[in-house]
Amino acid sequence: MGRILIVDDTLFMRTLLKNILFSGGHDIVGEAGDGDEAIAKYQELKPDLVTMDVVMPKVNGIEALKGIRAIDPNAKVVMCTAVGQEQMVKLAIKTGAKGYIVKPFQAPKVLEEIKNVLSS
Amino acid sequence: MSELDAYRSLYIAESRENHENIVKNLLLLETEASETAIAEIFRSAHSLKGMSASMDFKGMERLCHAMEDVFQEIRNGKLAVSRELMDSLLVASDQIEAMLDDIECGGPGIPPNLDDLENELKRWIGKGGIRGGPESVTPPAAGDTSAPGAESPGMPAGAPRYSLAIQLTDTCDNPNLRAMIILQNLEEVGTIERVIPDRSVVEDGEFGRRFEVEITSDAGLDALKTIATTTDVLSATVTEGGRKTPVPASPPAPVQPLEKEDIRTAKQPEKVEKSREVKNIRVDISRLDSMMNLVEDLVINRGRITEIARGHQIKELDETLNMIGRSVSDLQALMMDIRMIPLSHIFNRFPRTVRDIANREGKEVEFIVEGGDTELDRSVMDGLNDPLLHLIRNAIDHGIERPEVREAAGKPRKGTLLLSARRDRDNVIITIKDDGQGIHAEKVRKKAIEKGLITPEEAQALTREEIIDFLFHPGFSTAEKITDISGRGVGLDVVRTTLESLHGTIKVDSREGEGTTFELLLPPTMAIVNVMMVRINGRRCAIPIHNVVEVAGLDTGNIHTIGGRETILLRDEVMPLDRLDDMFGRSPATEILVVLQHQNRKRTIAVDEIEGQQEVVIKPLSKVVGTVRGISGVTIPGDGEVVPVLDVNSIVSET
Repeated sequence: MGRILIVDDTLFMRTLLKNILFSGGHDIVGEAGDGDEAIAKYQELKPDLVTMDVVMPKVNGIEALKGIRAIDPNAKVVMCTAVGQEQMVKLAIKTGAKGYIVKPFQAPKVLEEIKNVLSS
Repeated sequence: MSELDAYRSLYIAESRENHENIVKNLLLLETEASETAIAEIFRSAHSLKGMSASMDFKGMERLCHAMEDVFQEIRNGKLAVSRELMDSLLVASDQIEAMLDDIECGGPGIPPNLDDLENELKRWIGKGGIRGGPESVTPPAAGDTSAPGAESPGMPAGAPRYSLAIQLTDTCDNPNLRAMIILQNLEEVGTIERVIPDRSVVEDGEFGRRFEVEITSDAGLDALKTIATTTDVLSATVTEGGRKTPVPASPPAPVQPLEKEDIRTAKQPEKVEKSREVKNIRVDISRLDSMMNLVEDLVINRGRITEIARGHQIKELDETLNMIGRSVSDLQALMMDIRMIPLSHIFNRFPRTVRDIANREGKEVEFIVEGGDTELDRSVMDGLNDPLLHLIRNAIDHGIERPEVREAAGKPRKGTLLLSARRDRDNVIITIKDDGQGIHAEKVRKKAIEKGLITPEEAQALTREEIIDFLFHPGFSTAEKITDISGRGVGLDVVRTTLESLHGTIKVDSREGEGTTFELLLPPTMAIVNVMMVRINGRRCAIPIHNVVEVAGLDTGNIHTIGGRETILLRDEVMPLDRLDDMFGRSPATEILVVLQHQNRKRTIAVDEIEGQQEVVIKPLSKVVGTVRGISGVTIPGDGEVVPVLDVNSIVSET
């Protein structure tokens, strides 16, 4: 059970993910629609975990990940990836992402990864 | 209605926005080589693809994927924007719109010429042919490797050496990414000596699903085991000095098909008649608000003309005005109706949530939903999803007991959770009722004292209801969860705040051992508010009825001054008395006392007279006026007078 910040530029994906995480017993402490907002919300809310979309307007997921890790080097960030984003996610992992989940989301897999990253 | 259908309207609305963004930027791109436009199109195509995949709209997913690939090429400078390319892209974007129309009408959104459309786009990336399926992955580019291990600092040379053999599951989506994460985590506790196959090969994903790692580490076998046993790992073996320790990985999570089958089988046979006629249009809720305001102006002016006509006694004019009156009323009713959607819109998402939570918690729950056809204003509905989810989750997490506990208490193994909605005169009432263990008031009391919210003496004087009300107190449950108090603390303050922002209220009734009932009272719409019209110092003022607790006679003998402030004793309760002199001037003839409440704080105001109750539209103060203390807006009843609406929240919150 963790306090989670959801970052995605579409309300649709945020809602979908929110309901999955909620049903897994997690608390959604905040949502952000772009990287800037994600960094600001991280600073403000200090969540246990962040789910981070890669492609977003203004500041993308990788930059946001860097920003968040600058605030908190131990931040647990899980990237949300889709088919065709492997290079970006590789970069994210090298930047310090702790896990990834794949779109379209499958609730059991998402919850398993979140649980594993939270307990790591 | 399947579970995914609940997301359909959100999908359509957001997809249309993305489509519009694509078209807008394509047109921009035709006139100038804008990097921003390219990035925007890529992002929108990418979002559309992701959302479509989640909804299982394969056609849309494929087309958007192709478009995304084209823009990836453009972004990488491998493809120049040309007139011909623009034509292809515009055709594709027209098709996206047509597909969205089809999906909105219940179709699958798969045009007969999908393959051609897709190939037309793929032609630009020199791929051609139909892609293998949704699983196919863009081939990884070479040369993106980091040096294989062996240089991590800080690890003494004498640290023990381990071998790990890790086998990933077949369902792992990106074995290379998973392997990278495992390697990265291992690196945090030791020095990786060798990866088999080579690390760069593993990172490029060309290693089947099995890889081995040799590592020197002081972390110990257990820690390595834990790191290696993570998501997507079928089995992991850790060896130290020839001793093998097989680690059974957690079984691969069962992949649930998200009930997508239902949609496919249900929708495919009925070939949807493709028509160009647009049956639905999407309208921003704020435009409906503006329309509502205009209708309201119409109502006011009709009232004034009626007054004028009365003075002149012209029969034809009276008749015409009556006709206008009816039309205006119908128009008003229609406007309200347009904004209403049935609660099933959000209720339908919950059975799945309940099942998941119950499974996770090892509880047996019978979930009953009633009154999903009750309608609520769209703006109210939007804010309701999260509070309801909170309450439902709390009910299962903390309310309903485990089957064996229930049996021991003489209850049926299966707990019952009822979610119901009904219309009651001017309100919509939503009830969430469980037959669980109820709230232990005694524990709440202890906790409230512990948290310093009340003193033990104060606590003694409080009733059970007042004690339970502490669950809604912001300071009561913070990050810490209070599972030992049959829960109920988690985020309830947030639930109350959200409901108040929707002009609603929440009540809780709980009996120890029998269960808990939450009752949410909501206005069906926020556009129209029920107010009490009063006069203070001869001036009219409106008070939202949901803030009014009671009206009583003002007995001046009961007014006492405490600490320089007037207070009033009403029955056994002492409450602050506010005459609102600074707003309305001192009234010589206040005879009536109105008790107001916000959250749990009460305050009284003195008024001259009560004119009655009325449904009004509250108009926000114009930007020119700005924010005014104590006033949330104005309303204009039939006689055309501008009446301020009291902002009870700010008045009560003032100390």
